[in-house]
Amino acid sequence: MLGDQSSELSESNGENESPTLRLCANGACMKTTEVEAKLDEGNIQDAESSLREGLSLNSEEARALLGRLEYQRGNVEGALRVFEGIDLQAAIQRLQVSAPPPEKPSTKKKVPREPPQQSASQHAASLVLEAIYLKAKSLQKLGRTTEAAQECKSVLDSVEKIFQQGIPDAQVDTRLQETVSHAVELLPALWKESGDYQEAISAYRRALLSQWNLDNESCARVQKDFAVFLLHSGVEASPPSLGSQVEGSYVPRNNLEEAILLLMILLKKFNQGKAKWDPSVIEHLTFGLSLCSQTSVLAKQLEEVMPGVFSRVERWNCLALCYSAAGQTSAAVNLLRKSLHKHERPDDLVALLLASKLCSEEPSLAGEGAGYAQRAVNNAQGMDEHLKGVGFRMLGLCLGKQAKVPTSDFERSRLQSESLKALDGAIAFEHNNPDLIFELGVQYAEQRNLKAASRYAKEFIDATGGSVLKGWRFLALVLSAQQRFSEAEVVTDAALDETAKWDQGPLLRLKAKLKISQSNPTEAVETYRYLLALVQAQRKSFGPLRTLSQMEEDKVNEFEVWHGLAYLYSSLSHWNDVEVCLKKAGELKQYSASMLHTEGRMWEGRKEFKPALAAFLDGLLLDESSVPCKVAVGALLSERGKEHQPTLPVARSLLSDALRIDPTNRKAWYYLGLVHKYDGRIADATDCFQAASMLEESDPIESFSTIL
Amino acid sequence: MSESPTINDSPPSPAIAGDSQTTAANESDPNAKCQTAIQSLSSIVTTTTIPSTISLLLGDSSVSAAISSLLLRPDSGAGDNNLCRWLYDTFQSTEPSLHLLVLRFVPLIAGLYLSRVLLRQPQAGFEAVLLALYAHETTSRAGQAVTVNIPDLSHPSIYHESKGPAKNNSTCLNIAVVSSTLDPHGTVRSTRRARIVGVALELYYSEISRMPRQSKLDFCGACEKWAGGNGETRAGVVPEEEESVAVARSEKDGGRIPLPWELVQPMMRILGHCLMGMKVEDKEVKEAASKACQSLYLRSLHDINPKAILAAGSLLRLREIALDPKNQIDHTEISNDNVLSV
Repeated sequence: MLGDQSSELSESNGENESPTLRLCANGACMKTTEVEAKLDEGNIQDAESSLREGLSLNSEEARALLGRLEYQRGNVEGALRVFEGIDLQAAIQRLQVSAPPPEKPSTKKKVPREPPQQSASQHAASLVLEAIYLKAKSLQKLGRTTEAAQECKSVLDSVEKIFQQGIPDAQVDTRLQETVSHAVELLPALWKESGDYQEAISAYRRALLSQWNLDNESCARVQKDFAVFLLHSGVEASPPSLGSQVEGSYVPRNNLEEAILLLMILLKKFNQGKAKWDPSVIEHLTFGLSLCSQTSVLAKQLEEVMPGVFSRVERWNCLALCYSAAGQTSAAVNLLRKSLHKHERPDDLVALLLASKLCSEEPSLAGEGAGYAQRAVNNAQGMDEHLKGVGFRMLGLCLGKQAKVPTSDFERSRLQSESLKALDGAIAFEHNNPDLIFELGVQYAEQRNLKAASRYAKEFIDATGGSVLKGWRFLALVLSAQQRFSEAEVVTDAALDETAKWDQGPLLRLKAKLKISQSNPTEAVETYRYLLALVQAQRKSFGPLRTLSQMEEDKVNEFEVWHGLAYLYSSLSHWNDVEVCLKKAGELKQYSASMLHTEGRMWEGRKEFKPALAAFLDGLLLDESSVPCKVAVGALLSERGKEHQPTLPVARSLLSDALRIDPTNRKAWYYLGLVHKYDGRIADATDCFQAASMLEESDPIESFSTIL
Repeated sequence: MSESPTINDSPPSPAIAGDSQTTAANESDPNAKCQTAIQSLSSIVTTTTIPSTISLLLGDSSVSAAISSLLLRPDSGAGDNNLCRWLYDTFQSTEPSLHLLVLRFVPLIAGLYLSRVLLRQPQAGFEAVLLALYAHETTSRAGQAVTVNIPDLSHPSIYHESKGPAKNNSTCLNIAVVSSTLDPHGTVRSTRRARIVGVALELYYSEISRMPRQSKLDFCGACEKWAGGNGETRAGVVPEEEESVAVARSEKDGGRIPLPWELVQPMMRILGHCLMGMKVEDKEVKEAASKACQSLYLRSLHDINPKAILAAGSLLRLREIALDPKNQIDHTEISNDNVLSV
């Protein structure tokens, strides 16, 4: 603002020297030099009279012209003195009287009135209003913002009074319209400057909700300024008054809603070509919508932006961020593939990192992700060198995920060791990144290096101050894998102390399992009883009217609780209880491979092999990669294989398949050993049994992969 | 957030009703409360004279500086700390101006608290203050979530017309949660720590237009510390300053904390205010806020957190756009004609 003013000053000074600045009225023209000299002497009266004579003006007109001259010369104090010499309020009074009386109420603003009278009154009004407006501007420049706002407000009040029927579009005096538009735009800014926020809000709304005949550009500016004010002023605006509400139309109830509405309207205007593209609008909208986690809405808005505004790569990358924040991974990956194509922008670091992160979550994409991560590592140079560590970390994660779907055992161990290497490389860059510490720990745990895993688990808890639930669970699992069950229980209890009750579900289930492992079934059942009470409490506190999606968001998952209890009873061989719990679980979620697995166990326990096999196979049909079901079918078939040789190859292939997915499944190794034994391959059988027994000593109570 | 009453169409919460009762009961002596607060403060802050009224105290920078330096002491967060007790007691009163006085120090307290958690220092004092803020917010919005309706332009609104069918406010709109439901907490459980501090920051934001600039500067400093040095110092290294930068970096590393969305979101709102919402242009605050934004942006790149990348990135680009001279035209200025006419 200040910069503007000074540049303006020098500009007008320049013009002073040039002879072009002239005053014209009633067909006569005169140079300003003489008048200016008088003004500089402080002799307003003389200056006025020379104008009146030279241009045959009345006193008011002469003053208005002088004020403008002073203002334009940058002498705002002088301008103010001149304007104070005009009785503007009286002039407005006169105009009101001379303005035509209100016509029939039914006539709208566009009904034309008698042209001559109209233009005369418009002309006079224009002169007075411009003078008041310039007075407001002068006051603003002198830092007297409250007074300025009052003057500016009186411009708008006067317009409403003089033209009660509105100004006829066709005949509006351009100079008058200019003054009105300026005043509409200036008023909220002045209230804002003076710190009167409530007045500012009503000035903005008045600007946007009344008919001022603003052109698209200035209306867009007011809308944007208001949106910015709503987003950032930190002052909560009360909802718009009832008077401004049209029946059935949407009325925003708070700042964020109103701001987002205005910004969306602005974007629509840009898209329809009604206003010139303003890059800040989409940025404000990005801010507002990401604050309320509505990035999928943002993506929709971005998609509607006309081509040519953004470069396509920019748009793809931005959309990818939106979709990935909204959890739509595959849409995001598809976009990133386009933008990282060799003909587009293959070296964009943010895109590479985001792509590798998204790919690291999905085994089938992990290989592709490793490629992106490697490119990120290679491109993290110069200013961006600090991102090299992130690249290494993503490389490690992708390779670790890739190791889950290997083509061979050799390939698996290669990938696993490379993954560790990359994560170790990352820690050299980011020794203080707890996420990285955690990921290293999980990687070690999956390779059954439990000592290292427990060290990293503890380090993670320290580095996060125990604030992340998965850290506690991870440490408990590592301890359980080390067969240190009572210590694992201590950790679980500590974690329970640090969690609010709605987050305790997974911890309590873990605790029950630990109790079972310590041959303490009664306490395990007790823990589940508590869990069920928690489920009840949750239902009560969130009301009975809950939709399906809400049930899925429940912190304490009722299905998991019933299913967990069923599993618990099955390990106690209480088959009737298992059946009851399974029925309860089935009411909540009809199709679940893990539930069918437990049901199969139940039939198996009751020595009913046909329904057992059917349940396991149903489980496999639901989820073809369900390792427990595969192992269970394999086990059933291998047991029967003692008598019926032909089932053994089927069992063997199922078990091998299970081991391909989860090479640390000790049951699979055991039953595979049995198959080899029945088939007479004793050496193979020995190897398998050995693997099973080794794994038993390092088997966590829940799979490590449940943590990530 | 103070928006809650207008946002939730819920009936006035019992807590609010309770508040008004107590204020009615104590209406005779809000001054007395302020006087007690001032008196007890004068026994804690001895290095400078305490003004005699709350309104003077709110604007008094030397007292604020004295309190800040007490807070910055290494043992300031302990349970038996006098200042923490004073802050706690002062906030417990229902006097709004006393609330402001406490909120002014939220940036310092939250900043120190979260960074010190990792050093395992006893911080019961800080925790008591933060829990008091959390409890205040929980009761004032009756534990309800703060939500917004994302408008759909196919329905007409007060600001635009549309051919689509007119619908009620409530139907067919996309509801977004800005701040989730609040459960009462009597102690700080470590997994709820970020949420509790986040709610304190939400409360701070709701009064931010009345916070002094130093408080905002404190907040920007805390953000930078939390984000940790993510290479921004390295990027801006000037050779001769390399050593001091290295020192600055290692100090920064100390304050790096996990930044879940429940913290990042209120942080962004406050920074947005510092960059674009202040009444008077304040260059220093803007500079500090854009530095904090820069750190948070880099941090969100390190975390590959798309939502934070979008939010921090948009603030940075807006800053850039605002600095561009061609966007600094004053549209309310009249045109400079060479011919002036009536």
